[in-house]
Amino acid sequence: MIELHRVWKVFAVGPVKVPALSDVSFRMGKGEFVTLHGASGSGKTTLLRLLYREELPTEGEIDVLDVDVPSLRGREVAALRRSIGVVFQDAKLLPGRTVYENVAFVLRVLGTPRREITPRVFDALRTVGLSARAQAYPTQLSQGEAQRAALARAIARKPLLLLADEPTGSLDETMAAEVIDIVKDIWAGGTTVLFATHQAALAATLRQRTLTLVSGRLVKDEG
Amino acid sequence: MLGFLIGEAVRDLRRAGRVAVAAILLITLSLAALGGFWLVSTNVGQAAAHWRDRVRIIVYLKREPSNADAQALVERVQVMPGVATARYVSKTEALGTLKQVLGKDASVAEQLPTNPLPASLEVTLTADGATPEGARGLIARLSALNEADDIGGGIDWIERLARGQRLLEIIGLGVGAVLALAAILTVTTATTLVLHLRRQELEIMRLVGAPELVVRLPLLLQGMLQGLLGAVMAIWVLIAVYTLAGPQLEPLVSQTLGLERLAFLSTQTVVVLMFAGTLLGGCGGWLARGRTEP
Repeated sequence: MIELHRVWKVFAVGPVKVPALSDVSFRMGKGEFVTLHGASGSGKTTLLRLLYREELPTEGEIDVLDVDVPSLRGREVAALRRSIGVVFQDAKLLPGRTVYENVAFVLRVLGTPRREITPRVFDALRTVGLSARAQAYPTQLSQGEAQRAALARAIARKPLLLLADEPTGSLDETMAAEVIDIVKDIWAGGTTVLFATHQAALAATLRQRTLTLVSGRLVKDEG
Repeated sequence: MLGFLIGEAVRDLRRAGRVAVAAILLITLSLAALGGFWLVSTNVGQAAAHWRDRVRIIVYLKREPSNADAQALVERVQVMPGVATARYVSKTEALGTLKQVLGKDASVAEQLPTNPLPASLEVTLTADGATPEGARGLIARLSALNEADDIGGGIDWIERLARGQRLLEIIGLGVGAVLALAAILTVTTATTLVLHLRRQELEIMRLVGAPELVVRLPLLLQGMLQGLLGAVMAIWVLIAVYTLAGPQLEPLVSQTLGLERLAFLSTQTVVVLMFAGTLLGGCGGWLARGRTEP
């Protein structure tokens, strides 16, 4: 499903080279739930961005869903991303659209037949427990609800892989637990999940395989 | 899908607000200017064509020939390149025409002791002959006739009219081009503003793997929509000006250019203007396209 081999990502800040990831290698199988743990700035987000090709590696090989990611161009990038769901710490909901419209928007832009949109949106909203808030605007949602709406948007198109970049980072314990339960439900449904968090306690409670990043180096792979 | 894309384009247009309105007005202005020059040029062109059809070259003869000689002369002239028709006008016919022109003062002509008017040939030109070069060549050939005393008429002033028409077209294109450039830049600005307003949507679209066409098409459609609206408004402006000013100008145009009524732009030209507007807007929308990949 995911395979990284000796991946480096170095950012140039003027004349200074700053390595965000150093010699990272790991494999992750289909249907796995893997927690990516590390402090802020350890390279978690960079690693996820490499997986959906928002960034290119400076060096190394990246395979996602049996595709050599760095070699992809244009349409191939879009095709890869159609199989990947991504959620972020900030939900990135579109402010001028309701929860329903936010979820429906991605289905529309992907050319989903009109008659399939409403049932799929409500399926996704049911999964995250937000059916009753379908007509609410993002400003009317709590942070937890906004994050659940973002999850609904990510799973409405039934991705094979879910990349969660600190989705609980700004939530209190109760809301975070709700979001984690939903992510686990999604995983139980067959979606492979890579869940990034800086919260050590949370990584421990997930009781899944955990990759630990420290200053861009993968220092631990356990569980 | 198309409905969704058009809906997004209209939504973007609303979001661009005043900048989009400014872009539409600039396109209206540029196309109205272009169309206005085109309109004037069309009518001047029609006048030039009208007068070119009526061009006559008169060959005044040294002496009045016999009927047989006149007939032979007409036949010789008729085969010259650039000649459409040649007609012999006798001294008597010329005097008759003068009397007709003088009307109630025709008695003045009757008091003349002798007919002072020369016999002549009235030559009309073919399309090839009705050019400056063609007419000059023909005049040279007619002057070379032994019977010819003097040559009258020509097409210099019609050519000046045609040159004026061409100048109008060039000025129209120049003014139109400058305004069109400004319109493209304004549409680009409006679309860039929309891009900024839509950056979150574009980010989501790219993140979920929306085809590049779906990402860009609303921007292109938005620009095209602005262009089309500008073109339609420009055509309405031209129709309004033509309807209001046309009847006021027609008597003047009739006296100066000889046209009975002013012509409006042809359907073909109107279609070209609408297409040009849509293209201008599309250019602006396309130029504002954003980043696609890292």
